[in-house]
Amino acid sequence: MFEFFFHYPRTAFSKGEVVLLAGMPVWVLGLLVVVAAAGLAWVMRLRMPEAAVGIKGWRPAVIWVLQSAMVTLVLVLLWKPALLISELKPQQNIVAVVVDDSRSMAQADVGKSRRAQAVEALEGGLLKGLEKKFQVRLYRSGAALQRINKLEELKSEAPATRLGESLKQIAAESAGLPIGAVLLLSDGSDNAGGIDLETVAELRSRRLPIHTIGFGKERAERDLEISDVQVAPRTLADSRLAAQVSFHQSGYAGQKAKLTVKDGGKVLASQMVTLAPDGKQQSETVLLNSGTAGAKTLSFTLEGLTGEENGLNNAVSRLVNVESGKRRILYIEGEPRWEFKFIRRAKEKDRAIQLVSMLRTTQNKIYRQEIENPSELLEGFPSRVEEMLGYHALVIGSVEAGYFTAAQQELIKQFVDRRGGGLLFLGGRSSLSDGGYGQSALTDLLPVTLPDRKGTFQREPAAAELTPAGADSLICRLVEEPGRNTERWKKLPALADYQDVGAPKPGAVVLAGMTVGNRTLPLLITQNYGRGRTAVLATGGTWRWQMSQALEDQTHEMFWQQLMRWLAAETPGRLVSSTPQQILFDNGRLVMNAEVRDRNFLPAADARVEARILGPEGLAAQVELRPDAANPGSYQMEWEAEKTGSYLVEVMAKRGEEEMGRDVLTFQRQDGVAENFRTNQNKELLEKLSAQTGGEYWRPSDLEKLAREISYSEAGITVRQTKDLWNMPVVFLLLLLLRGSEWILRRKWGAV
Amino acid sequence: MRLRAYFRLVVIATAIGSLLYAFQRGRRSFMDEEDNPAPFPSDGFEKTEFAFARLRYQPMRNGYYGRAGGSWATDYPKADRQFVQGVRRLTRIHTRSVEQVVDLESDEIFNFPWVYATEVGRWDLKEGQVKKMREYLLKGGFMMTDDFHGTFEWDVFMASMQRVFPDRPVVDLENKEEIFHVLYNLDDKFQVPGIQMFYTGRIYEQDGIEARWRGIHDDQGRLMVAICHNMDLGDAWEWADHPRYPEKYASLAYRIGVNYIIYAMTH
Repeated sequence: MFEFFFHYPRTAFSKGEVVLLAGMPVWVLGLLVVVAAAGLAWVMRLRMPEAAVGIKGWRPAVIWVLQSAMVTLVLVLLWKPALLISELKPQQNIVAVVVDDSRSMAQADVGKSRRAQAVEALEGGLLKGLEKKFQVRLYRSGAALQRINKLEELKSEAPATRLGESLKQIAAESAGLPIGAVLLLSDGSDNAGGIDLETVAELRSRRLPIHTIGFGKERAERDLEISDVQVAPRTLADSRLAAQVSFHQSGYAGQKAKLTVKDGGKVLASQMVTLAPDGKQQSETVLLNSGTAGAKTLSFTLEGLTGEENGLNNAVSRLVNVESGKRRILYIEGEPRWEFKFIRRAKEKDRAIQLVSMLRTTQNKIYRQEIENPSELLEGFPSRVEEMLGYHALVIGSVEAGYFTAAQQELIKQFVDRRGGGLLFLGGRSSLSDGGYGQSALTDLLPVTLPDRKGTFQREPAAAELTPAGADSLICRLVEEPGRNTERWKKLPALADYQDVGAPKPGAVVLAGMTVGNRTLPLLITQNYGRGRTAVLATGGTWRWQMSQALEDQTHEMFWQQLMRWLAAETPGRLVSSTPQQILFDNGRLVMNAEVRDRNFLPAADARVEARILGPEGLAAQVELRPDAANPGSYQMEWEAEKTGSYLVEVMAKRGEEEMGRDVLTFQRQDGVAENFRTNQNKELLEKLSAQTGGEYWRPSDLEKLAREISYSEAGITVRQTKDLWNMPVVFLLLLLLRGSEWILRRKWGAV
Repeated sequence: MRLRAYFRLVVIATAIGSLLYAFQRGRRSFMDEEDNPAPFPSDGFEKTEFAFARLRYQPMRNGYYGRAGGSWATDYPKADRQFVQGVRRLTRIHTRSVEQVVDLESDEIFNFPWVYATEVGRWDLKEGQVKKMREYLLKGGFMMTDDFHGTFEWDVFMASMQRVFPDRPVVDLENKEEIFHVLYNLDDKFQVPGIQMFYTGRIYEQDGIEARWRGIHDDQGRLMVAICHNMDLGDAWEWADHPRYPEKYASLAYRIGVNYIIYAMTH
């Protein structure tokens, strides 16, 4: 239809440039248009007295507009409008036809495979149409781009799709070959993270249009797919882990599916989920125990449902490194309290936490527990950096702020800020406001703004309750099911005492509150501070949860173990290694970063960092990480994992002979797995790719004009064409419309 | 006349309400069972972290001494009040000046994780009490027993205690036990006599010639029950201010008591 009115296809207009070919300057045209319109207005004004009775009010203005428009159109035509467009020179250009040859193209959506549909489209006239005008080169795209001679060579067996890599290769080839356009036949399921901006920029700089033809259903009729799993890559032994499993489905809305987490053959967690409406992303939190130390591959599976089209996208795996080391927490308590005893008892079953405590039993005596050697804390609270930084977290009980010297207060700040340690303040007779913390240097660390008064600690019962944020927190998870957990909190025995700690600071999160009479006060407040985290538990009376509940109840133990782990588990060591991608899909390129700190936990730029990589068949490599000049203390490396399987990387940092730290990292290379996911046609990607490169997205049923329109390109060997526009049917129709409208109106108003 | 009647009604209602409130707040009065009355301190109602909890139990009927009532209250309340003065002075424990009487009939005992039971050579715990005692100790409660002597009273004590923990042995505590070092080093302990020595001239009672420091541990090796057999620490606290009562006994009794409390608050 467009071409009928405008004589040329829409692509020609979008790619070409409209120009006026007359020798006269354009400003003259503008001037003439203004003069003509003014002249018409003047003439009409002169003739108004003689005008018919019906021509009055706003009606003369309508007549004037129509006449002016017609004069303008005629004047524009006199200036010879034309379309300037680059077209590929016939028989001198190459059109690269790239067919996606990955495994997903073997999927049969409409009775035949996507590959068969692509071959059918090419053999059904498209190739012949192209060959009339261009040289055609056939390629197949899998893990890499490969030239083929005939379509029979397509097998759809490539384990991966790397459209970005293939297009980058085409762009490189176009530097030496007159490639005028690229025709990409694909389902758009790229599993290498899409097409990067660099590739798109290169294609644009070469003005190489990518025309895409999409195959496959845009949405499966009956399928269930896990789209992502988020789980901490490292944790402590016997820790509670929360995994966020995201998935979507079509055709099974409202039905139930079983979500299972396994470590090898051992089921770690299992729960039923109710499926959301078609196409809607939903996510479920699964809680599991990390178990014993070691590198683990956890598999998350949604059990297949009847009639599922693709059963291979129901399971994904994630690596979790369960660390064996202990986390050391220093707990300083200013007076013997039941809370102290029961915290110690609650922690006892947690082998991953060492609770070193110092308790002021009398004015001048300190009772130490779980110390590593007789000299530990012998002189009291640490006053040297290396002594303090040996702990992963700090708990301050009922101790006045004044008990700490100014230097010790600064040390505590550094411990959280620089070391990345956890700090918990407990409520008590000498805690927080009542202990003078509001006026101390430690006030910055608090997640609350303390009330400016004393007497905030009261030995009166208070009922704890969860906030919505607390319902999502692992610290407060006493029962796995969130709704039941909130109810469980409501049934907890009253706290023995409470402390008014004021209002939470911006950025702080209140996980639990407490009701005292008709007031609600914050009970457990957390926040991130520097590299670490701080929290306030505004009571010294959770011990009643232990003494006033059934003997077998584990609420108190669970709460404290979870709070302690939150405090200490994330505290980094002096060497921390990480990788942005723990599972490498169909690609062995490992990128690894390491951050090294010195004894004072300041970035160490002069370390020697080495990685020892153990692959599926033993020692694979020993690689030295290079320092990042722009980021002191950071080191990087890239390495190619050639074989599929699990890898373990032991990283060690040294300064001279001094060992600065060790860390362990795990990663995995999986080939042919990613291809089973996102198997629906990724129309969005194909459309975006075409739009960004000046090409077009085509449906297989609508390819007749492709061979013609593909020739509008600025890449390859082109010729600049000038196409007249005056003879477009739309121009004559417009003239007729303007004139005809005026005549009809005049007749209606009695002027004709 | 009518106004006066209303006034009386208000006074009576207030008095009853106050009594009920005091009862609910654990302020039950055992004045009629006091063994050795002591003044009620002005800060006796202070809310504190620690209160000296005295176990009120049912005594054995037709006991050896023929006295069948109030053995739980021996030395009460003077010993308790005099001892906590020492706890207040010698430690940083926020301690109430007045004791708390608890029993095994209600759940009130769970609010007091340290309890003192005296003359347990006369106790006779009923089945429900045995169960509650076991629960209390396994949850983290701590019991110190005192002032029972000789073989007969030991047997009576054990008759109930073995029902609390049929499978847990009572062991002699060695000097290296943490409870003897948590604040004071108590390697040199000796028998602490009651005031009966004023009349008999002996520091032991019945056939309890040798002081025995015993205990029952939980699965983690923590002491749940500290048994002071053949000694009378309660008397030592009670008569610490008596000119004739030797200071060395009173001092040891205080140090033992303080250690037992601090141990209970740290383990």
